[in-house]
Amino acid sequence: MPPRSASKPSKKRSNPDSVTSSATGPVPSAYSKKKASKEVDETDKLFDKYANASSGVIDPEGIEKLCSSLEVPHTDIRILMLAWRMKAERQGYFTKGEWRIGLKALKVDTIGKLKKALPELEKEVREPLNFRDFYAYAFQYCLTEDKQKFLDTETICQLLDMVLGSTFRAQVDYLIDYLKIQKDYKVISMDQWRGFCRFCNEISFPDMTNYNLELAWPSILDDFFEWLREKQA
Amino acid sequence: IYISSLSFNFSLFYYFPPNLFADAKNPNPIVSPSPILSGPSSYPAAMSNQKKRNFQIEAFKHRVVVDPKYADKTWQILERAIHQIYNQDASGLSFEELYRNAYNMVLHKFGEKLYTGFIATMTGHLKEKARLIEAAQGGAFLEELNKKWNEHNKALEMIRDILMYMDRTYIESTKKPHVHPMGLSLWRDNVVHSPKIHARLLNTLLDLVYKERTGEVIDRGLVRNVTKMFMDLGESVYQDDFEKPFLEASSEFYKVESQEFIESCDCGDYLKKAEKRLTEEIDRVGHYLDAKSEDKITSVVEREMIANHMQRLVHMENSGLVNMLLNDKYEDLGRMYNLFRRVTNGLATVRDVMTSHLREMGKQLVTDPEKSKDPVEFVQRLLDERDKYDKIISIAFGNDKTFQNASNSSFEYFINLNTRSPEFISLFVDDKLRKGLKGIADVDVEVILDKVMMLFRYLQEKDVFEKYYKQHLAKRLLSGKTVSDDAEKSLIVKLKTECGYQFTSKLEGMFTDMKTSEDTMRGFYGSHPELSEGPTLTVQVLTTGSWPTQPAVPCNLPAEVSVLCEKFRSYYLGTHTGRRLSWQTNMGTADIKAVFGKGQKHELNVSTFQMCVLMLFNNSDRLSYKEIEQATEIPAPELKRCLQSLACVKGKNVIKKEPMSKDIGEDDLFVVNDKFTSKFYKVKIGTVVAQKETEPEKQETRQRVEEDRKPQIEAAIVRIMKSRKILDHNNIIAEVTKQLQPRFLANPTEIKKRIESLIERDFLERDNTDRKLYRYLA
Repeated sequence: MPPRSASKPSKKRSNPDSVTSSATGPVPSAYSKKKASKEVDETDKLFDKYANASSGVIDPEGIEKLCSSLEVPHTDIRILMLAWRMKAERQGYFTKGEWRIGLKALKVDTIGKLKKALPELEKEVREPLNFRDFYAYAFQYCLTEDKQKFLDTETICQLLDMVLGSTFRAQVDYLIDYLKIQKDYKVISMDQWRGFCRFCNEISFPDMTNYNLELAWPSILDDFFEWLREKQA
Repeated sequence: IYISSLSFNFSLFYYFPPNLFADAKNPNPIVSPSPILSGPSSYPAAMSNQKKRNFQIEAFKHRVVVDPKYADKTWQILERAIHQIYNQDASGLSFEELYRNAYNMVLHKFGEKLYTGFIATMTGHLKEKARLIEAAQGGAFLEELNKKWNEHNKALEMIRDILMYMDRTYIESTKKPHVHPMGLSLWRDNVVHSPKIHARLLNTLLDLVYKERTGEVIDRGLVRNVTKMFMDLGESVYQDDFEKPFLEASSEFYKVESQEFIESCDCGDYLKKAEKRLTEEIDRVGHYLDAKSEDKITSVVEREMIANHMQRLVHMENSGLVNMLLNDKYEDLGRMYNLFRRVTNGLATVRDVMTSHLREMGKQLVTDPEKSKDPVEFVQRLLDERDKYDKIISIAFGNDKTFQNASNSSFEYFINLNTRSPEFISLFVDDKLRKGLKGIADVDVEVILDKVMMLFRYLQEKDVFEKYYKQHLAKRLLSGKTVSDDAEKSLIVKLKTECGYQFTSKLEGMFTDMKTSEDTMRGFYGSHPELSEGPTLTVQVLTTGSWPTQPAVPCNLPAEVSVLCEKFRSYYLGTHTGRRLSWQTNMGTADIKAVFGKGQKHELNVSTFQMCVLMLFNNSDRLSYKEIEQATEIPAPELKRCLQSLACVKGKNVIKKEPMSKDIGEDDLFVVNDKFTSKFYKVKIGTVVAQKETEPEKQETRQRVEEDRKPQIEAAIVRIMKSRKILDHNNIIAEVTKQLQPRFLANPTEIKKRIESLIERDFLERDNTDRKLYRYLA
């Protein structure tokens, strides 16, 4: 095997923080080995451009740089989608393994190609089955502490805006309004988070005529419903 | 049976066997048919009696002459005979001869002639009879009809006997109507249905019935005979010619009468009248109608007099059902019950009106602020109402279960409208157990407690009752103010039977603590004989879990007392290592001897706080509020209450306050009231008695109850999900509600919140595809 100058340094810089099980991909066959290694090469090179030299991962700074290269605001949902594609575990960081997974899945190895692939990525994520997964991932991604299960309402508001804002503008605006005003819930659980998405998808808005307080909707949505009804009256 | 009116000549012809006469009704021509007459098998075959015969066949052969005029001659004989029978002139007839004639005609194949002749002759006579009847005037009409009918029946029987052979043979084979039925039909067609008689007959009868209904006396026997005639002519004749029109006329009659009554009578009177009419009609049927008419005519009366006026009767102002209930009119209620149960929805109507009245009245009772001022009175009112309705249902409604259920559900409905009902019922019990049951026999005590249990069963929030009961029981036990230990225990047993042992285990624990404390005190004084000189200390050691939780209120005890307390503490902890004791100063009492200015000696029964305050005056004549506060360290609200009870209550003001206002101000000064007097040596000032809670206290208790409910709801959810593994939302709510129903009514919103909490803690999860399903996570 010819020495891969690109990969060797990265090996040295292998980060103890990286929690991803570095999926190095299937063992390349004799023919595609070269091709594969060339791709990996490029991908790794790209990685290095944004990665932090000492930690060996792309950190928030690097991500910001990446965003400007992609000409995408760094609070844009597409970055989150990219993270999802990469199965990134830690918010604000991409490990090399995750990077490889993501770019391979998108079949890109340059910034230009990556940029072009974003619309395609978005389309893919918005497919119903994927979106469900992505939506749950968005919540998961924001959990920073080890045993953390809840997100504070402010984060939730931002997340709602980012993830559902483009499709369900009205619902999101009202939900954010409510979350800011109410005092009963200081944190939101995954179950409640999921509830928001279902609500937007299933309940006609703003009339909410098909909403039923006696069904299994999380209580926070019952309270939201009643709050909104009162407002509308 | 007809032998009395006709005489028969039985001449014995020796060549006829004797049994022909003996059983004329069952002729059995024993002669064997002659060869000429061997014909159709309709003729009976030779009988086994041949052996008995002792005659010569030749004589019989004589008769075998086929003479064409024979038939006519024979018929004429018979025709004449029928005339005579109808003319009541049959005495000279010979039954045997006539029978023989008829027999011969049939035998010689002249059956048809005989039959048609019989019909024609009879018809002729009946037409004649009809004319006679038509001619009768007034009352005689019915009598004449009756008479002719009887005559006809008698004649018919005789004729039938004579024509018996034809009946049995010719008619049998030709399947024509038999003689007797034919005779009845002829009567029906020629007399009853004769145009001049038909309508007149019916109207006469209906007129008689009307007369009787309006109070006149009629000849019942006569009518009876006529209706019987109808029945004899056939049930359909009775129904078509009499019963149907009778029922219609009755319906009209009662329609009118019921309208009159309802405009002029009150409910009770109306029902009396309706009952009377019903009895009359049944009586009428018994006397002169067919039994099958009874149900039909009673239905008519029920429909016209009751069913059609049900609503109006029940709702009649000042005399309807509500009025009867309010005034305990048992007789009227009973009558209404018995009458209304005869019609469809009758009882349902009564029950519904009773239920809505009861609910309305109950609702007013429990939501009236005046009535909820005194809890004991409030509950007593409820018990009185319960007793009242119990009595009504048992005396007037025959303990009808549907009424009992309606009553129970109504009580349950309105008792729970007032959220303080559980508290009040507990206060009622408290009052009874502290003084109300004094001097009452055991048996009566049981009765009262059972009644209280009845009210308890209606409560939806039994856990609230439990909380209050505990508080009140604690106060009773600690102040030693229970009238009867047995009564207390009896009630606990009843509660246990009703709610299970968990409900009462803590209560029982309280009793145990009291008992144990007695033993502990004995032990304490036993091991410290030197203390018998000083003040007597009585300690009740309460197990924290069993007694209502109270925050321990700080307070500085007077030196003499605190020394004793410390001695007790070390004694107790000596035998019970690992336990912690905390003095509940807000629940104690003290008896102190006081000497006042003029030497008056009194023994004062006070609360612990009051004792602390009073003892301070042993060392100072005057004390300011602030000084008292500092010395005792009793928190302000309790201290103020305490000082108020010592200084501001007439007859109990052992200390004087400056200024003499009702409220305690922070700058007030206090001195001993040297002029204090009381008739009694022992004066009770302390109040550790159970009272109706203040608003804020009530809120607090309610909050604690709600908090206690949360784990119970969760436990129920987990229990259910553990066994079912997967269950949908609505079913979980239903099951949980059902499981908790013996203790309280679970709120679906609260249940939902608990479910979510359990989801967060990974006890349950939502199903991925069906949002309504929950799954148990092992």
